Amino acid sequence: MESSILDSLGVEIIGVMAPVSICMFLVVLLTYSLSVTSDPQIRSAANLIYIENPSDSATVKLEGSLANAIVFVVLVAAVTFILVLLFYYNFTNFLKHYMRFSAFFVFGTMGGAIFLSIIQHFSIPVDSITCFILLFNFTILGTLSVFAGGIPIVLRQCYMVVMGIVVAAWFTKLPEWTTWSILVALALYDLVAVLAPGGPLKLLVELASSRDEELPAMVYEARPTVSSGNQGRNRGSSLRALVGGGGVSDSGSVELQAVRNHDGNQLGRENTHNLDYNAVAVRDIDNVDGNGNGNRGGVESSPLVGSPSEGHFASAISSEHSTRVGTRGNIDDRESAIDEEMSPLVELMGWGDNREEARGLEESGNVVDSSNRGIKLGLGDFIFYSVLVGRAAMYDLMTVYACYLAIISGLGCTLILLSVYNRALPALPISIMLGVVFYFLTRLLMEPFVVGVTTNLMMF
Amino acid sequence: MTVAAGIGYALVALGPSLSLFVSVISRKPFLILTVLSSTLLWLVSLIILSGLWRPFLPLKANVWWPYALLVITSVCFQEGLRFLFWKVYKRLEDVLDSFADRISRPRLFLTDKLQIALAGGLGHGVAHAVFFCLSLLTPAFGPATFYVERCSKVPFFLISAIIALAFVTIHTFSMVIAFEGYAKGNKVDQIIVPVIHLTAGMLTLVNFASEGCVIGVPLLYLVASLTLVHCGKMVWQRLLESRNQSSASR
Repeated sequence: MESSILDSLGVEIIGVMAPVSICMFLVVLLTYSLSVTSDPQIRSAANLIYIENPSDSATVKLEGSLANAIVFVVLVAAVTFILVLLFYYNFTNFLKHYMRFSAFFVFGTMGGAIFLSIIQHFSIPVDSITCFILLFNFTILGTLSVFAGGIPIVLRQCYMVVMGIVVAAWFTKLPEWTTWSILVALALYDLVAVLAPGGPLKLLVELASSRDEELPAMVYEARPTVSSGNQGRNRGSSLRALVGGGGVSDSGSVELQAVRNHDGNQLGRENTHNLDYNAVAVRDIDNVDGNGNGNRGGVESSPLVGSPSEGHFASAISSEHSTRVGTRGNIDDRESAIDEEMSPLVELMGWGDNREEARGLEESGNVVDSSNRGIKLGLGDFIFYSVLVGRAAMYDLMTVYACYLAIISGLGCTLILLSVYNRALPALPISIMLGVVFYFLTRLLMEPFVVGVTTNLMMF
Repeated sequence: MTVAAGIGYALVALGPSLSLFVSVISRKPFLILTVLSSTLLWLVSLIILSGLWRPFLPLKANVWWPYALLVITSVCFQEGLRFLFWKVYKRLEDVLDSFADRISRPRLFLTDKLQIALAGGLGHGVAHAVFFCLSLLTPAFGPATFYVERCSKVPFFLISAIIALAFVTIHTFSMVIAFEGYAKGNKVDQIIVPVIHLTAGMLTLVNFASEGCVIGVPLLYLVASLTLVHCGKMVWQRLLESRNQSSASR
């Protein structure tokens, strides 16, 4: 029996949501278990101006936290501009080494502090030498995994999540009002930096894509984990499909299904899965094309679903043997010449050193640089989602669930927008706004209602 | 005892849905998305309801009719929302079917539709358990426990977990019943779902009487098991029908 379409739909969305959920869950656990022992105040860039005092009046707190947020955002913007400048003048190696250094620093000191407090809190019997060696190993491996090739992608993904957790756990020590203002300010900054013309992150992404380089930043890549053998064959077949699609000049859609039917028989089950994955992603983009061109009948409204035109079916097969594409630049040229809308670069961007970059999965057919595929989510998004949830965890579990749902649905909206707009998008604004709104709605409206009802054992 | 008790309460309420999630839902990403969106929908409905009722809170603890009114309005609102959910799902199903046609894959099977309905129901049920039971469990992880006066034999956390389990079952499977009812235009199934929901809500009012939970909770479980049996029968019938149809067409 042939598998239904339900099996493969939405794989890439879950591929991004799962690590974000894990990160948030672990941060909530950390804040819960360590909230007693952690010191109440830290001094960092986020509260340079004003140190919150519980006895201050609301206006003082509000003003102080706003000042903190503004200073923090200005700092972030300045650092990002420096980053763009360095990248512009080709100091890429310096940037990479700096990233490695900061990864080392984060894992070693902040991670170390968190491990120490875990050890203290649960009174785990471990001697200092063992602890030091373990921490050192952990740190070195984490540093290596940030930019080096040849490290399994799973390890890299794990370390990205760990780094998100460490930094987020650190940020949850900020005072309450400052946290909220900083979150909102960063969401706004993210919106501007990615979308406004001349925004630093927009510049950075455009620069990276025009130079065809990887972004020198901490990015989580949600990439299908495939064994290399499968990948090779898979790549070959989708390459052919890609070329086939590119050969048709009037509309830029790629019909992967043609290939799937063509050699689907000899592919293993897992491989079929991967092909499905590619097919789904490519279709997302096709849908955009369809909407944009408006020359195809029956275009659905759902961005989850595409409308590949049937005409390609034949052309994809017919041209798949005749054309060869060797390099990635070649693909890019060809495609941009053919159809602007079909640009294989779908990018989604986050804050600061978080880029998100979701390249259209046509690039899985890329021979030269096959590491550039899958949706990319900036590390900063991980961090600030988790900070929000961690802050919610300090109030109650109910707010945690509400914020989690809000953030995840915001992320889902962003991903859907990504497939519609086909360009780098900020991932913070929708999620953070929804999260903040749901937090206060839950705290002010829902909690008294639910508590009042349930303590009388009334449910519905 | 403390952490173990907290986890135990949580598992009493959510254990069955957890195993359902792991065994059925988590295999298919689309179903996970359905669960999430249905959970969000339920949360939004709860927030709207609490916004409506907020001016009247806190209700007097010794008068029962405001609570009855509260349950009735909430159930009506949520049933309306269920219909909305069905409308959205219907459109989604059409989109998915035309999409499947385009890539020349089979359309949604009957089992797929049932699974989507199950995922939608599970989302509602899980949201219910999470907000009405799990979110109050924080003190249960501490060293003490809590009893309410009206049900003095059982700890509050345990009784709320047990009630939540009944409601998870009702929500999960009544969604399947409702979707099938809407799909086939079966009036009985369409009406039975709000009736079940309202009955279950009203049965919790029995807890208002002193020691009423001794009677109320078993009655609630009767309703839950009736829902389960009805749903099972209906699904079994549908599966048999579709198998007969496919073998006849073959």
